[in-house]
Amino acid sequence: MYFLPFKEMTFFKVRYLLISFILFFVAILVFVISGLANGLSMNNASSIINMPADTFYLQKSAEGRIDRSHLTTMDLEKLSAKDDAQPIGIQMGAISKVNSEDKLDITFMAVQPGSFLEPNVMAGKGLKGGGENSVLLDRSLKSGAIKVGTIVKDARSGIKLKVAGFMDDQTFSHTPVAVISLDTWDSLAGSREKSEYNGIVMNKDDSGLKKDVSSLVKNGEWVAKDQVIKGIPGYTAEQNSLYMMLSFLIVIAVFVLAAFFYIMTIQKAAQFGILKAIGAKSSLLVKLTIFQVILLTIVNIAAAVVFTKVFMTVIPDDIPFIFDTAQIAKFSGILFLVSIFGSLLSVFNIVKADPIQAMGRLE
Amino acid sequence: MIMEPLVLENVEKSFKDGDKENHIVKNLSFSLKMGEVVAVIGPSGSGKSTFLSIAGALQSPDKGKVIVNGTNISSYTDIEKAKIRLNHLGYIFQTSNLVPYLKVEEQLSLVLKMANQWTKGSKRKVKEMLTAVGMEHRVKFYPHQLSGGEKQRVAIARAFINDPEIILADEPTASLDSNRSMAIIELISTIVKEQNKSAIIVTHDDQILPLCDRIFVMKDGQLVEDGREVLI
Ligand SMILES: Nc1ncnc2c1ncn2[C@@H]1O[C@H](COP(=O)(O)OP(=O)(O)O)[C@@H](O)[C@H]1O
Ligand SMILES: [Mg+2]
Repeated sequence: MYFLPFKEMTFFKVRYLLISFILFFVAILVFVISGLANGLSMNNASSIINMPADTFYLQKSAEGRIDRSHLTTMDLEKLSAKDDAQPIGIQMGAISKVNSEDKLDITFMAVQPGSFLEPNVMAGKGLKGGGENSVLLDRSLKSGAIKVGTIVKDARSGIKLKVAGFMDDQTFSHTPVAVISLDTWDSLAGSREKSEYNGIVMNKDDSGLKKDVSSLVKNGEWVAKDQVIKGIPGYTAEQNSLYMMLSFLIVIAVFVLAAFFYIMTIQKAAQFGILKAIGAKSSLLVKLTIFQVILLTIVNIAAAVVFTKVFMTVIPDDIPFIFDTAQIAKFSGILFLVSIFGSLLSVFNIVKADPIQAMGRLE
Repeated sequence: MIMEPLVLENVEKSFKDGDKENHIVKNLSFSLKMGEVVAVIGPSGSGKSTFLSIAGALQSPDKGKVIVNGTNISSYTDIEKAKIRLNHLGYIFQTSNLVPYLKVEEQLSLVLKMANQWTKGSKRKVKEMLTAVGMEHRVKFYPHQLSGGEKQRVAIARAFINDPEIILADEPTASLDSNRSMAIIELISTIVKEQNKSAIIVTHDDQILPLCDRIFVMKDGQLVEDGREVLI
């Protein structure tokens, strides 16, 4: 009997093409907006999101905001020997090319060279290989003027830094990150004594180590990585806006699709009436409807996923876009279920009715 | 062999019209004999279609029995009724009510497939049935490509394809000119006689009455035999 929906769809080509387009575009809209939201989130905070960190030890009064947290360096000597707890420095700043006044906003991130905090490079060498006062830059800074080996200078202190390599996805509060060593950090501050760190990062949940750190450095508290991400300037407000947008989109999509399939099925009342009158069982009609909706949704959602993938590769690099498979699967599932729900809503009305009523009164 | 394939006993049906109950079918009893063609006439709105759809298991009566081939189907579930429609009843509507997206031959094969009766010989059976109604040259046409009379002939072929004992036709000629009407009724009558089936034809059309064995008038919710006398 499953040939019936195919015959129907090929006969009413235009109608089903339109339905397909709606499904396809609604799915695309959801996927693309979610991709952009994820992209923006990553673009804002990728340095922390990608950091292999578990918890952060930040100054109590900073309330979870790593940029506001300051810990004195004094007692950290002993700590820096420990691999799993690493000091980190974060400071918004600017760099420029040596003989240029064009400043680029960046965020300095100071780490122990070779520690788990030092990101991998996608081009060039790491901090150790780069030698004294070397710097790793986010890939977005790579250009004709700035390459591996280029000398840049810190806009505030004028200290010269040599670009050792470039990293993928290292941003903080929408600025590209420049990773430097703790020694360079100290010299940017003027001296070791003047220098302060923002926090201590632990790469695993180790309560013994936590105690050690807490007793060495006073006035701090342990903050989860998620909280630190949320504390990045602008992050929460931005994410809330995007999340709001996405929720509205999903709600609208749900109603549009449910209503659409409801109407599509109710329009077939007369058709169902005929089939019932010549002896089709109601269960057959329900099965055929579900089969048809499954077919339509799967084909169109799959097409929308493919489109989104292609879209991702053709949009310019400076539009951040992330294809989160788990999330796309979740949204696909939602769209799929509401489509089926919408059509079932009307199919049950038709199925309950006598064939004569389903056909409409025949006068 | 059951001599009365369709019997209605004390059937009642009313419809709500606002807060008023409209008693359309009142204590109606009727029986159909094997091999006969019965005509039902009566003014518009008298309940002819309501009677026929109850007889055809398309609508349930409020009270009373509908006995098809000796079994009372009044208490049947929807699934069982669908099965009765599929295997024992052929219904022809006023407007042909073909499935819009199926070709003429598929209209017929669908019925056989739903009844799980599709076999190797079925293709030929469909062809023969369509030849009997003079539609063999239109097997690949869609309903919208056919004239009113042609659609009605396909509907008749569809009603007969499953070898139902009972044919129920609700004003099958209403949309046709008088030549066509006579041809359609003759067609139904011929098949009924040849294959020893029985038929009820609801009609407005006096000229077809001579082709029928008995005539009933729908009056005050009941069927009264021999309409011509009653009408005069
Ligand atoms: N489903 C229904 N709901 C309400 N009224 C109905 C329904 N079916 C039939 N009727 C009413 O019953 C009466 C008889 O209708 P019908 O059987 O179609 O008459 P006929 O076929 O003799 O013209 C009409 O007055 C019609 O309005
Ligand atoms: Mg009528």
